[in-house]
Amino acid sequence: MKEYSQDLSSLMDNELGDKEVINTILDDAVLQKQFSRYQLIGDVLRDESNGLDLRMDITDSVMAAIANEKQDDYVAPLAAAPEPEKSNVVPFMKRFGQYAIAASVAGVVVVSSLMVNQGSSTDPSVAPVLNTVPFGGAAAPVSLQATPLQSENEIKERNERVEALLKDHQLQLQTQP
Amino acid sequence: MNERELDLQLIQRIQNGEQQAFALLVRKYQTRVANILTRYVRSSGDIPDVSQEVFIKVYKSLPNFRGDSAFYTWLFRITVNTAKNYLTSQSRRPPASDIDAEEADSYDGSGALKDHANPEAILHSQEVKQVILKVIGDLPDELKSAITLRELEGMSYDEIAQIENCPIGTVRSRIFRAREAIDKQLKPLLEN
Repeated sequence: MKEYSQDLSSLMDNELGDKEVINTILDDAVLQKQFSRYQLIGDVLRDESNGLDLRMDITDSVMAAIANEKQDDYVAPLAAAPEPEKSNVVPFMKRFGQYAIAASVAGVVVVSSLMVNQGSSTDPSVAPVLNTVPFGGAAAPVSLQATPLQSENEIKERNERVEALLKDHQLQLQTQP
Repeated sequence: MNERELDLQLIQRIQNGEQQAFALLVRKYQTRVANILTRYVRSSGDIPDVSQEVFIKVYKSLPNFRGDSAFYTWLFRITVNTAKNYLTSQSRRPPASDIDAEEADSYDGSGALKDHANPEAILHSQEVKQVILKVIGDLPDELKSAITLRELEGMSYDEIAQIENCPIGTVRSRIFRAREAIDKQLKPLLEN
């Protein structure tokens, strides 16, 4: 032990670099603590420890922290990566997209109805009325001021045709078992 | 072998997976690191934590250490950078007068922490210092001379042997006996 203590003293003074001696010191906790105290003697003599807490020895805590970090580094890749939690919040762009589509449809309806209105209101004397003319048809405006499009003869012919259809229908019902 | 070569040997061992070699580097340099930190860290209670951070950073960076500069110069830079980061995290500015890596060996930051150190720590530090100086004062002259030339003047065993006019083996033995005598008084003081 004393022999190694003397080697330790020489090692501290950079007068010994024998690998076997270093191996012995590295494996011996008592010699390592002795190394710390020898080091402290020099630090105190050189006034390098003024104001410091000389009981401070961070060696064990540093080595423990390093051991923990190494363990974390090893464990981390093995552990399954946690799945990201799904958010209940509707993404802003998604909601914004829905509004945009609704606004576009509404815009198309308004523009097309305006275009149709412009085309049908040719008579300025006619007050604006509810215009129900479809895109491809020619239905009459619904209004008290609207003039009838069919003559009395046409109406009479149509009624006669309807009556004939009804009679035919009744005859067919009677002949069926 | 000089200090640089010995440090490099320990670093090569660490790079080969011998973690205990790093413990020896921590034991060797922790007081010097703490001494540098007193220049930046105002609260003495934070010095152990910041010191620990320094050594963890050093350990993580060791694979990149190529030995172009001395280990202590490299350690000094990491210590100063860690101290500055600490100040930033505390929303404080680094001191106006900075210190260079070239000044690392001669830097004396002894006055920096005096006003902020824990009174109990100051008292203990003074007690340790008194014990060491008393034991050295009581040593035989040849031991006293050898340890003083080595620790205060930084002389090699060869230089001391020439001054003392004795073999290198005798210098080696004298320095060890001086340390052993001091350690005998110091050990119970630190363990209590």
